[in-house]
Amino acid sequence: MGFNPLEHQGIPLDRQLRSWRELDVEPVDPDRSDPYTRCRVITMNGIEVEAILFSHQFARRCPDPEVKRQLAEVRYVEHQQQKAVNWLLPGLASVLETTIAYEQVAVDLTGWVARHEPDPYLKQAYEFGVLEDFDHLYRYANLYEMIEHRKAESIVDGLTEVMPGRPTKFHHRHPHDNVREPYDRSTTNPLSKLHALTIMSAEQQTMNFYMNVGPQYMEPIARQLYQEIGLIEEEHVTHYESLVDPGETWWEQLVNHEYNECYLYHSFMEQESDPKVKAVWELHLNMELEHLRIACDLMRRHDGREPEEILAPELPNVLTFEQNKAFVRDLLDTQMDLTTLGTGYVRDAHERFEEMQERIHGGEEPPSERVLAQHHEMFGREYRMETEGEHPDPALRERG
Amino acid sequence: MAEIAASDADVVALLTRQHGDIRNLFDEVERTSGDERRDAFRRLVRLLAVHETAEEEVVRPFTRSNVPGGEQVVEDRLDEEREAKEVLSRLDGMDTDDPKFLTELLALRLDVMAHARAEERYEFIRIRRHADKDRLASMASALKAAEAMAPTHPHPGTESAAKNIALGPLAAVVDRTRDAVRKALGKDG
Repeated sequence: MGFNPLEHQGIPLDRQLRSWRELDVEPVDPDRSDPYTRCRVITMNGIEVEAILFSHQFARRCPDPEVKRQLAEVRYVEHQQQKAVNWLLPGLASVLETTIAYEQVAVDLTGWVARHEPDPYLKQAYEFGVLEDFDHLYRYANLYEMIEHRKAESIVDGLTEVMPGRPTKFHHRHPHDNVREPYDRSTTNPLSKLHALTIMSAEQQTMNFYMNVGPQYMEPIARQLYQEIGLIEEEHVTHYESLVDPGETWWEQLVNHEYNECYLYHSFMEQESDPKVKAVWELHLNMELEHLRIACDLMRRHDGREPEEILAPELPNVLTFEQNKAFVRDLLDTQMDLTTLGTGYVRDAHERFEEMQERIHGGEEPPSERVLAQHHEMFGREYRMETEGEHPDPALRERG
Repeated sequence: MAEIAASDADVVALLTRQHGDIRNLFDEVERTSGDERRDAFRRLVRLLAVHETAEEEVVRPFTRSNVPGGEQVVEDRLDEEREAKEVLSRLDGMDTDDPKFLTELLALRLDVMAHARAEERYEFIRIRRHADKDRLASMASALKAAEAMAPTHPHPGTESAAKNIALGPLAAVVDRTRDAVRKALGKDG
């Protein structure tokens, strides 16, 4: 029997507040920790940030002062959880190093979700996104070597390959073509709801991160690359958030958020290699069980429905950070030339796409191309890490 | 500001990359053993010496006299350097295959990284703000003169001048670095 969070008791809410000493977590080693530990930290930070932002939005739409107070109390704890989680990242890491770790998350988290998503339309949405984050990783890795003389393999540690994906310059689509069709909340597999919420939250955090850290760089090409990829993260958030059924009530969404947090903390606790970090996942799981119970009570009271109607009877298989190399290579082989049209996917560069491309590029090479040209000028080659052989697409094998 | 490709003429870009070279050498020491590790460690120690000497000669004087609050900024950096130097002196006499070597090396790596990040965040950004293009370039050529004293890669079989110096005693390396930097500064500054 799997883990059913509805059947477990968490830590009572009035005992969840932590002191400064308890919040003062020891960061992971910037060079020698498990890259997937850092990926889990980045993922859970994105999940907590979404929980916080969602709760703030909910509170602004909520006329009942008692519910507002209840939301505020849980939200304060979630803010503390976000601090404990994100402060596991070391101050010794540079912004670019953290950026490369964010893109590793995007590739291997979305890759895993795409492989396990039961709904073919949703699966396609994740497969489409993977190839774009994969290309961002490659562009940032080249920038990293230019600025810090370090190779991205020192960060991703051979777990994720670094080579061209769908070229970043082709990610700039007309905004209408970024809106997908939502799943149906009444018929979709409960796992699909968790997947959509997870990937949406991760991309949202990436978007927020780039919009804030990009201007910290002084090098013009770095500033420009963060602008370009930052705009694509907006497209990704639009893409993934539109997968979620907008007909879910606020109460239902709250329950889904809390349930997903239980799912992910449980998953990460099961696989964590760093004992200190594992202890954080375990503590937070026990907090989330109580948040879920509170959310379920609110849903029963205000929605007049049982949470069991919308949730899975037990947690699905643990979401796992693991290598997705073969999967990504298969996508590189088959989905490189895809773009979107309306809510679907096409292989032709259609009129609306071409017009958007002309307007945004203005007849010049975008930063994502210039970063490679400048890297080539400095090193006489580009940076790649192809651990499983040459690029599946002959057109994208390195020249010379 | 110039693009990165042309930033050989920017002392801050060069120093930041040298921080990367130092970290690469730490990696090399960690993943090798025996003679290879001994050799990599010698190169690491020399690069650290040359890098710090060049910073003392090129960067610190500029910070002291041109950056508001520069004295204090320099003091903080010197404190970090002192800590790293203490660990380094413990390591320097040790056999690189000693079981305790890697533990000490780990401590040194974190000290050196903390110092490097502090330079990048609290000193280098101020240098870029207060130095004009010519000054960044003249400091860069002095740094390059120093860099020649510390090969980051082994040069088997080639008896270059740099190699001879790099294989000499550390104090001599520091002296030669200082001379090279001063000569470059006199020429370009």
